[in-house]
Amino acid sequence: MTLFLLDGLIVVGLVTLAYQAVSSRSLFRGIIHFVVFGLTMALAWARVGAPDLAMAEAAIGAGLTGALMLVAYRRLVEGRSDSPADPAPAQSRLALPIAIGSGLLVGVIGLSALFSEVEPAQAGQAVLSELQQVDLGNPITAVLLLYRGLDTLLEVAVLLTAFLAARAVAGADGGEGSATTPAPETPMVGALLAVVIPLTVLVAIHLLRAGSYEPGGAFQGGAVLAGAGVLLILSGRIAATPVAGPLIRMGLLAGLVSFMLIGLVPLLKGSPLLALPGLWAVYFIETAMMLSIAITLILLFAGGGGLKRGRNG
Amino acid sequence: MTLTDDVTLALLLAGCGFYLAGTVGLLRFPDVFCRLHALTKADNLGLFLVCSGLAVHSGEARVVSLLLLIWLVGLLAATVSAHLIARHAHQHLATSPEDSNEQR
Repeated sequence: MTLFLLDGLIVVGLVTLAYQAVSSRSLFRGIIHFVVFGLTMALAWARVGAPDLAMAEAAIGAGLTGALMLVAYRRLVEGRSDSPADPAPAQSRLALPIAIGSGLLVGVIGLSALFSEVEPAQAGQAVLSELQQVDLGNPITAVLLLYRGLDTLLEVAVLLTAFLAARAVAGADGGEGSATTPAPETPMVGALLAVVIPLTVLVAIHLLRAGSYEPGGAFQGGAVLAGAGVLLILSGRIAATPVAGPLIRMGLLAGLVSFMLIGLVPLLKGSPLLALPGLWAVYFIETAMMLSIAITLILLFAGGGGLKRGRNG
Repeated sequence: MTLTDDVTLALLLAGCGFYLAGTVGLLRFPDVFCRLHALTKADNLGLFLVCSGLAVHSGEARVVSLLLLIWLVGLLAATVSAHLIARHAHQHLATSPEDSNEQR
């Protein structure tokens, strides 16, 4: 009964927050609603028993996307208009048909899922019995790297492509106009960073290591690490530069390149592509991917091509 | 219900009460400083009560120390962010209720 109430609250909250996020008159409120929506979504994932997704949603969906939106808001909207209130955009004529169509689509999919006869899942059982031979306790990490290696590889490639596209759109001026306010000179920020940054790095490494036997992994660890980077940028410890140094470039490419190289080796021996040679390869690729993900997200937030020591660094 | 359950329930309910008070204060108080006042006091105590309720419920040393860590990190983050907001408000914003309403 209580759990049913909780689920109902989450569902109603999700729909309300989603509506508020897209229909809010003020863009700023919309962003805040989106962040709260992400956190509620993480709760929903946790309730359906998917802690990996819940962590990724909370870290990336709510945390980093929210930070990116806020920084975009500050750069694009806040400085332009004199009045704090955003002009209400005129409602498109297509809005109502699209809303009805989407609602119908969701309804039909939901109904067909309710009434369809569920075939007993064979693949999951087969994978789980196969996994007995591999020393990976977390089936999600194992499936992502051993069976869906191509998907994971392409996800990392998509992230890199998104970063390159953002750089191309931002042009050469990116990184000069700092997105952050001058860091306040108060000793409390330093104290916070001194505690939080080591803790964040520790959590990221734990998530990466834990990914092999319990919820966690490269994406979650990378997002947490990127959170530390966002804090450092906001407090002026590091700042964006237009051009990346060699170390940053290597970090950006590490995940994709190491995954591809290790994935290509089996071809020489006649094994299928991306058949990972062993557990060490999983750890190596996950570590490289975590670094690449973190650096990509930090650079997206900083709005620059590279990083340097900031004013207060 | 055992005694542990009773204590857990009491602590959790008390924690929720403090959270509720803090949220009502956040929504109802007139300006930034009053709102921060409501948030920083009530929510920190609320978090402590909820954490200790869960600690009593679990009783394992590992969980208890994790909950303690969560409370301490929460305290730290809440303190510093409230300090920064108050500082910014003090330096940049007019403190009349109308102005701070816009900044919410």
